[in-house]
Amino acid sequence: MPAIIEVERLTKSYGSKRGIADVSFQVEEGEVFGFLGPNGAGKTTTIRLLMALLHADAGRAQIAGLDCWKQSLEIKRLVGYIPGEPALDPNLTGGQILEYFAHLRGGVDQAYLKQLIQRFELDTSRKFRQYSTGNKRKVVLIQAFMHRPRLLILDEPTSGLDPLNQQEFERMVIEARDEGRTVFLSSHVLSEVEKTCTRVGIIRDGSLVRIGGVSEVSAIKRYEITITFAEPVPAEAFKTLDGVAEVESLNHGHGVRLTMQGSTDAVIKAAALYPVVSLTSHEPSLEDIFLRYYEADGAPVKEPQGVA
Amino acid sequence: MWLSSIFLKTLRDYRVAILGWGIGMGLVVISPMASVAALVTTPQARQQLISLAATFAWNADPVAVDTIGGYATFKIGIFMFLIAIWPLLAGSRMLRGEEDRGSLDVLLSLPRPRLSVALEKLAAMWTALFAMGVLIGLLAFAGGKKFGGDFGLGDALLFGLNLALVCAVIGGLALLISQFTEERGPAAGWTAGLLLVFVVLDMVHRVVPNSEWVSRLSPIYYYNLSKPLVPGYGVNPGAMIVLLAMAAILGGVAVWLFVRRDVGGTVPLPRWLRLPERQTSRALPVGDWSLRSVYTRGLGMIAVPAFWWTLGIAAFAGWMVYVVQLMESKLSALLSGSPTMTNLIKNLGGGDVGVNAGFLSAMFFFLPLFLMAFAVTQVNRWSADEGDGRLELVLATPQSRRAVLLGRFAALATATVAISVITLLASAVAAAAAGLNLDSGHLAAATLGMIPLGLLIAAIGYLASGWMRTAADTGLLSFVLAAWFFISFIGPELKLPDATLRLSAFYYYGTPLLHGLQVTSVLGVLAVAALALGLGTLRFVRKDIGV
Repeated sequence: MPAIIEVERLTKSYGSKRGIADVSFQVEEGEVFGFLGPNGAGKTTTIRLLMALLHADAGRAQIAGLDCWKQSLEIKRLVGYIPGEPALDPNLTGGQILEYFAHLRGGVDQAYLKQLIQRFELDTSRKFRQYSTGNKRKVVLIQAFMHRPRLLILDEPTSGLDPLNQQEFERMVIEARDEGRTVFLSSHVLSEVEKTCTRVGIIRDGSLVRIGGVSEVSAIKRYEITITFAEPVPAEAFKTLDGVAEVESLNHGHGVRLTMQGSTDAVIKAAALYPVVSLTSHEPSLEDIFLRYYEADGAPVKEPQGVA
Repeated sequence: MWLSSIFLKTLRDYRVAILGWGIGMGLVVISPMASVAALVTTPQARQQLISLAATFAWNADPVAVDTIGGYATFKIGIFMFLIAIWPLLAGSRMLRGEEDRGSLDVLLSLPRPRLSVALEKLAAMWTALFAMGVLIGLLAFAGGKKFGGDFGLGDALLFGLNLALVCAVIGGLALLISQFTEERGPAAGWTAGLLLVFVVLDMVHRVVPNSEWVSRLSPIYYYNLSKPLVPGYGVNPGAMIVLLAMAAILGGVAVWLFVRRDVGGTVPLPRWLRLPERQTSRALPVGDWSLRSVYTRGLGMIAVPAFWWTLGIAAFAGWMVYVVQLMESKLSALLSGSPTMTNLIKNLGGGDVGVNAGFLSAMFFFLPLFLMAFAVTQVNRWSADEGDGRLELVLATPQSRRAVLLGRFAALATATVAISVITLLASAVAAAAAGLNLDSGHLAAATLGMIPLGLLIAAIGYLASGWMRTAADTGLLSFVLAAWFFISFIGPELKLPDATLRLSAFYYYGTPLLHGLQVTSVLGVLAVAALALGLGTLRFVRKDIGV
């Protein structure tokens, strides 16, 4: 597959403030590429450079072989975009906003637009300022998809959406991929990236630190299991099990907190040997994962198994 | 220290306004003081000034207008609208503006009662107005000293206090109205409308005999009862207490309503006062003409403010045309007896070609000023759209940056032309109604000649917005506008060199009502505007958006 996005040593600084430095990556046509990183890592700067909203200090960015800055007009015909902090005219209704952007794009398929509105159950008669955060996000999502763009550049697109609409969004991304279109999305939600993306890039402190298949996410993804027992249980019983990275004894041995990476099967079987009162599992935030996984210089603390 | 309480934080937010508005309004008070001595050089001229002021009694009480303090007090009547702008905007923005931005939610999440939050903000506005009053009073005193006024520091400070009190009433009214509106804009608009009504109500008793009871309904009436700058007139403590009570009641009711309503919601009006809800079609396409392009969207955005500005500017021009015919005889006497007044009129764009046209030409000098003020407000909107991120998605569509900027500028240019054309029509109709014989070509030149000046200030604003944030851009343009006005208004009296006078855009407006259109000047202004717009476009095409 040819690369639809090609970024080479892209650099942008905001005076004394950090931007991005020497970022290079490629996104192939037809793939869904996840762009991950903690807050302030440089995701939005990279995306705004691709959209020609910022001018790069150095380096090169191309979309479909076109220079992102010099040929931005041609590029925008190919792209649907969702900004990180979308702002629209608060006095226009959702319907008016969609119609305005349809006109600016030279017209869209009205039947498809209505279908999108129905999919998200958006009431287009309300003014933008009267919408909830989720409904505002729906308007912005619909305007990005409504002209069936060849490339979707989405900066944290599901922020503020409820789980049902997040699922609808994921289905739309998968449909876009199945139709051969490309999606470049930044996200904080690991599970969303796992479900929809084929490859990921991880940026931290303005530099790209990892890039590869979606297994990269699984490689760094950790989750916690807390098990409460009716009687004291030795923590050592879990330490050597497959998938267990760390073990912490709780409540004088009446519980354990396990930091997991990989399958839970061995832990469940081991726990079943004791009288279990409760078992809870939760996924830490991407921030927590990055903080734990990366040192200040961006090097991994511990190279997990199975990372390419 | 300034961030230790809501009161101090709000006061800190007002610090630029306190200084800017206080000093600005102080200078407005001083300006007429500068011209009094020159107006009363002879007993005859003094008598004629008194006589002319009596003609304008509908506007303000002509009490001791031949004194420094009396003349300044009289002239301030005209500027009441100007002085009320800040409290009007501050009152409508105080709570509703923060709700619009969502910042009030965070503030109200603090362990602090809503009542306390609202009262601290109200107290900060009152303190700011008091500080402005003190500044205005000090400047008035300084002006009095400089130009030979016979009032003391106490009188000047009482003058500032009286002004602050009436402004507190206007601010309180705006705050109250904002409890019933979903946005701050309509609250400011309704308050401005009511202010106009109050001004007219106050005028009634000076025009219609035995109608003082009507004027008592207006806070402006109570403001006018005190004239501390007029020797021997002093203040009316009862009237000042009435103003204080009005401000307290309006502010108090507003706060009372605020603590009882939903944040982000409004106080429901009685059914008979509610406007019928507009039925908005849920079907797409909506079919709205203004959504077809950046240009038409720009027109849609500018339509409502342009309507109100057109109404104001055209009404001013029409009214001046009508009034000048009615007071022809008194004007003739005044101008023949006072060379200084004649000079002042001349500075303002009047001349010696016939009294009517001369005086009218001077009054028409204000028209491009108003039109440029309108342009400044619209440049502010463009700059705010970029700063607030509202251009980001538009620029993500296949519209070039150049097309977006020029589309918005073209909408502003269209509104500018429309305002000028309607002003021409209103002036022509008023002239016909009053039986005033004006050269139609010159009248067209005087009204349509404003267009290049409006475009010039707008183009400079678009250029400056390439580097400056909204507040700085608007501040710069306001300063430029004020500087141009004062260069042309006072500059000739100060014997400023011709090179300095040429720095003002008003210089190139000339005296079109008397001498027709100066084609070279118009083309020159248009060329500078085109250059500024071109440079502004180049900058916008190259700059980082939203940084």
